[in-house]
Amino acid sequence: MPLARVLKIIGAVCAVGLIAVGVRQGQRYYKKNLADPRSGEVVYREDCLRCHGPMGQGVAGKSDEPLLGEKSVAFLAKYIARDMPEDDPGTLSPAEALASAQYIHDAFYSAEARARNNPPRLELAHLTERQYRESVTDLLGSFRRGSSTHESGGLAAVYRGLKDGDSTNTDKNEAKFLERVDPVISFDFGTKAPAAGSRAEQFKINWSGSLLVPDTGEYDFRVTTPNGVRVYVNPPANGSEKNALIDLWVSSAMLRSGQGQVFLLGGRSYPLKVEFFKYKDKTASIKLEWRPPGGAWTVIPAENLSPKFSASVDVVSVPFPPDDASMGYERGVSVSREWTEAVAKGGLQAAALLAPHLHEYAGTTATAPDRAEKLKAFTWRFAQLAYRRPLTVEQKADLAKIFVPAVTPEIAARRAILHVLSSPHFLYPATGTQDDYAVATRLALALWDSLPDEALLKVAAQGALKTPEQVRAQAQRMQKDPRAKAKLRDFLHHWLHVEEGAEIAKDQAAYPGFDPGVVMDLRTSLDLFVEDVVWSEASDYRQLLLSDTILMNERLAKFYGQKLPEGHGFRPVKMDAAQRAGVLTHPYLLATFSYTKSTSPIHRGVFLSRNILGRMLKPPPMAIAFMDDKFDPSFTMREKVTELTAKPACQSCHITINPLGFSFERFDAVGRIRETDNAKPVNTVSPYIAADGTELTLTGARDVAVHAAESLAGQTGFVRNLFQTMVKQPTTAYSPELLSQLTERFRRDHCHVRNLAIEVAVVAALQK
Amino acid sequence: MNLQNRRDFLRKLGLSAAALPLLGGLTSLQAAEPTAAKQRVIFVFSPNGTVPSEFWPEGEGSAFKLKRILQPLAPFKDKMLTLKGVNNLVRGDGDSHMRGMSCLLTGIELFPGNIMGGGGQPAGWARGPSIDQEIRRFLQSKPATKTRMGSLEIGVSVGNRADPWTRWSYVGANQPVAPISNPYDLFDKLYGQMKESESMVSVLDGLRDDLATVSRAVDAKDRGLLDQHTTALRDLERNMKEQQTSGALIVPTSPAIGVTMENDNIPVVTKMQTELLVSAFQNDLARVATFQFSNSVGSIRMKWIGIEEGHHSLSHDPDLNTGSVEKLTKINTWFAEQIAFLAKRLQETPEPNGTGSMLDHTTIIWTNELGKGNSHALEDIPWVLIGGGLGFKTGRALKYTKTAHNRLHLALAHAFGHRLDAFGNPALCNGGPLNLG
Repeated sequence: MPLARVLKIIGAVCAVGLIAVGVRQGQRYYKKNLADPRSGEVVYREDCLRCHGPMGQGVAGKSDEPLLGEKSVAFLAKYIARDMPEDDPGTLSPAEALASAQYIHDAFYSAEARARNNPPRLELAHLTERQYRESVTDLLGSFRRGSSTHESGGLAAVYRGLKDGDSTNTDKNEAKFLERVDPVISFDFGTKAPAAGSRAEQFKINWSGSLLVPDTGEYDFRVTTPNGVRVYVNPPANGSEKNALIDLWVSSAMLRSGQGQVFLLGGRSYPLKVEFFKYKDKTASIKLEWRPPGGAWTVIPAENLSPKFSASVDVVSVPFPPDDASMGYERGVSVSREWTEAVAKGGLQAAALLAPHLHEYAGTTATAPDRAEKLKAFTWRFAQLAYRRPLTVEQKADLAKIFVPAVTPEIAARRAILHVLSSPHFLYPATGTQDDYAVATRLALALWDSLPDEALLKVAAQGALKTPEQVRAQAQRMQKDPRAKAKLRDFLHHWLHVEEGAEIAKDQAAYPGFDPGVVMDLRTSLDLFVEDVVWSEASDYRQLLLSDTILMNERLAKFYGQKLPEGHGFRPVKMDAAQRAGVLTHPYLLATFSYTKSTSPIHRGVFLSRNILGRMLKPPPMAIAFMDDKFDPSFTMREKVTELTAKPACQSCHITINPLGFSFERFDAVGRIRETDNAKPVNTVSPYIAADGTELTLTGARDVAVHAAESLAGQTGFVRNLFQTMVKQPTTAYSPELLSQLTERFRRDHCHVRNLAIEVAVVAALQK
Repeated sequence: MNLQNRRDFLRKLGLSAAALPLLGGLTSLQAAEPTAAKQRVIFVFSPNGTVPSEFWPEGEGSAFKLKRILQPLAPFKDKMLTLKGVNNLVRGDGDSHMRGMSCLLTGIELFPGNIMGGGGQPAGWARGPSIDQEIRRFLQSKPATKTRMGSLEIGVSVGNRADPWTRWSYVGANQPVAPISNPYDLFDKLYGQMKESESMVSVLDGLRDDLATVSRAVDAKDRGLLDQHTTALRDLERNMKEQQTSGALIVPTSPAIGVTMENDNIPVVTKMQTELLVSAFQNDLARVATFQFSNSVGSIRMKWIGIEEGHHSLSHDPDLNTGSVEKLTKINTWFAEQIAFLAKRLQETPEPNGTGSMLDHTTIIWTNELGKGNSHALEDIPWVLIGGGLGFKTGRALKYTKTAHNRLHLALAHAFGHRLDAFGNPALCNGGPLNLG
């Protein structure tokens, strides 16, 4: 058993040491209390309440911080015995310290006690930004006969030109001379034709297919050529040349670049088309690059291109103010004017996107005499999908009221759409009768952050979303949809703080060659690894933490000095199994949680505490900047952090943070293994008190990973994180036991991540 | 589509009849500061050359007689200047149509490129900015003459492609500006924001009802969030109403759907675009405009005046084909009628916060990419200037000898106080600005 091999388990309470402290510091109560110890409640009332208040909430001017947290009774007892009461520490006997710790823990300190005293409820919330965008896109998309693809591998290319020896220059004499799939668009034809069968002077190439987009955000595109080119990214159906994102059709005897930006939703495929032609220009070349959100310019890789067609996708790109994330996950629990304005603009943009198709979707034409009726019926269908349930008589009448003779039916329809997309029935999905449609609504939000699809609404209409089995069957179906993958990816990014790494920059003198290209490749490597594990058969959470391979391409292998196995693109490279531990030692995260010139055990430790081990940390009592030049120049990073956080006020959290951070000191600020720090050997060994009070000795990153993977604390933290990100409510709002039940099931199920997601969705949907 | 009157197409555009009285004294904000009289310029393009014998006036100086094509402009004869002998002398890559178009306002050569015309070498975009954009840049650089948009690039039935035949306005080398040919798009650009607030305001009552309904149904503890929402909507409404009354010039409703962008609707679309241009100037959204009918080699079919053939193919017919010459005369006369309508609308609109009419502060410059269609001549390019915007001495027919049109552009810039030494190809600027004062 690996746990036994690496962890040295120490007794929970070291009573002897504590008594010695008591005897030395506080003779007054010692004998009396040994003979007749007071109960925990009495100790609290007599010695603690004056500063901490009756329910641990604190007393102004004395102790501002409420007594709440997730430390064990044993830990609290030890702390109380040594440091409390603050004006006379060490005066409590071990028995009284333990009794008071037990009382504090059970009365108001622990999560369970807090849940009991102030039972969390399912709070009303509006759609988050992600839920809003996904819902609107699916709503608008539900009217078009769309198709999408997730099959990657390049673009379909058709080459046409004038036959060798043809002296005319008319387009109609051009003939196809090559048809193939081009993995990427990056060609330098020089003064020659791309292939035999065409004159070099005049030829055309049309590339078409789809762009597969991993993440949501602004994508920049750039095409560079001395010839004629138009680039279309997600153009509207029946669009024309004016829908080109980049138009460089007219050449000017020079190499030039054109750029354009498009906001795209992750996890979807978009039509992509490139029209290229050469006529009498001296040379021919073309390069099509992109810069994904937070990435660097790079030729669009084959993994993000597909030769298959996709229908265009209506995306609302209006910026939104950020959602509340104070609980560690995004939720729509406040309404500002900025948010209301963003919703209004989003509605207007959606209406504008619909406008050209309005008559088609409504089954009428711009001149048909019945178009008012048809458009009215269309807005009812639109509202029904947006409200996720059949409309009431009043709702229908309210929408019909917008169709007045003073405005044209088209303007009325536009206003109706704006009304629907600004209505609380759309924006607050939890309101409405608690029926099967409500179950469908919650299920679609949990799995997709979006609206129920047609199949789900049908089952809801049949009243067949009542039992866990019925709901689970739907959840299993829905998990196969790309939107489920996009949402899980969103969770994984959230869990691993991937967005924080977007700004990684390292000192180029200390880490030469660690440039934005390497950062982007690392991010891709991390994404691919995490998704490979989660979408594999086993979908094993533990593998995320324990794998000893890192996916690398040529650039990464070169930077990290690894030998790359045969193959294409990103390939698994086996690393030092004694050191490497899955995502935790992935260079992207190690670099994210580091300074530009050095490691940062504090950043690493905080991330590990909160995100990987599920521990609660309060914000630091005072902000202390880490000033590297303020320390003894011979110090290692570990010595600096130890000195900086030595105060007792710091130690209440840093006793957890530091050991975790120190365990990773064998990895430098770009994630390479090192043996020394400031010319001294790195020291990665520290004692660590786990959430349940168990004392462990951590010897390195792998010990932390094994603890996170195998311990109840680590697994519980993961389950809680997944639940909250998917559902946007705390588990305790459902029942105090839910978290432990889900964790127990997760353990029995070999820590299967996808199954966990389904169970979370079922619980959330049935709200039981 | 038959257009009844001005009210009718304003209604079609979505400018409500109730808003019309407001169109007069709208520029209330500018009224606060006394400023120098406004100067505006409109460049109007029509394609394929003219019929010289029916275009150029008889006589010279102030004693001149209008021929058939310019007859519709007779009411503005004393506000008019015609310039004969002002040529497009730019040479180099591209055929005459391409150079005619893309060098017309730029006065500079085209880059070599991949667009093949009917002769000469293939070419690309112009190598420099056009005079309208140069003037725009100058006006926008000074607070006193800066406007929200600076310039408007308006089209009627411009071909849906970007090449040297369809672009005459350039921000700079290789940077053509696309005109807006659809009045609904132009309306959106000018007044879209206001129209959007109007839509939003119209649904607010319904949203408040929905919020009240939902609020009754939720847990009392959750009502706070919905109250926040109601408050935020109220703030939004106040904000939008303030916007509408402060900076707003007209209270437009949304455009009705109906006028499609097809050949037969060109007369209606022309009127709609003209009205939008006049209203934009009235609201001081811009001081410079280009108004482009079709494009070089354009093939409008003027069925509404009984001509079935496309304009461009007619323009290739020899002079001996009197039937074609007659049709070309009618076509060019129709264009003159549209210019006359624009001039009339400016003349009957009082200058906001100023004296006289808007035509007194605006100069319309009507031109063409060729002097004559069937010879593809770049000599004797038609130049008709109408209005008092640039302070030229009008009521004259002037004749020059092989004079580069760059010198006219210099005169236009100087009239705005932008004292350029050269514009376009410097070799074509010898002699400096034409003296039109």
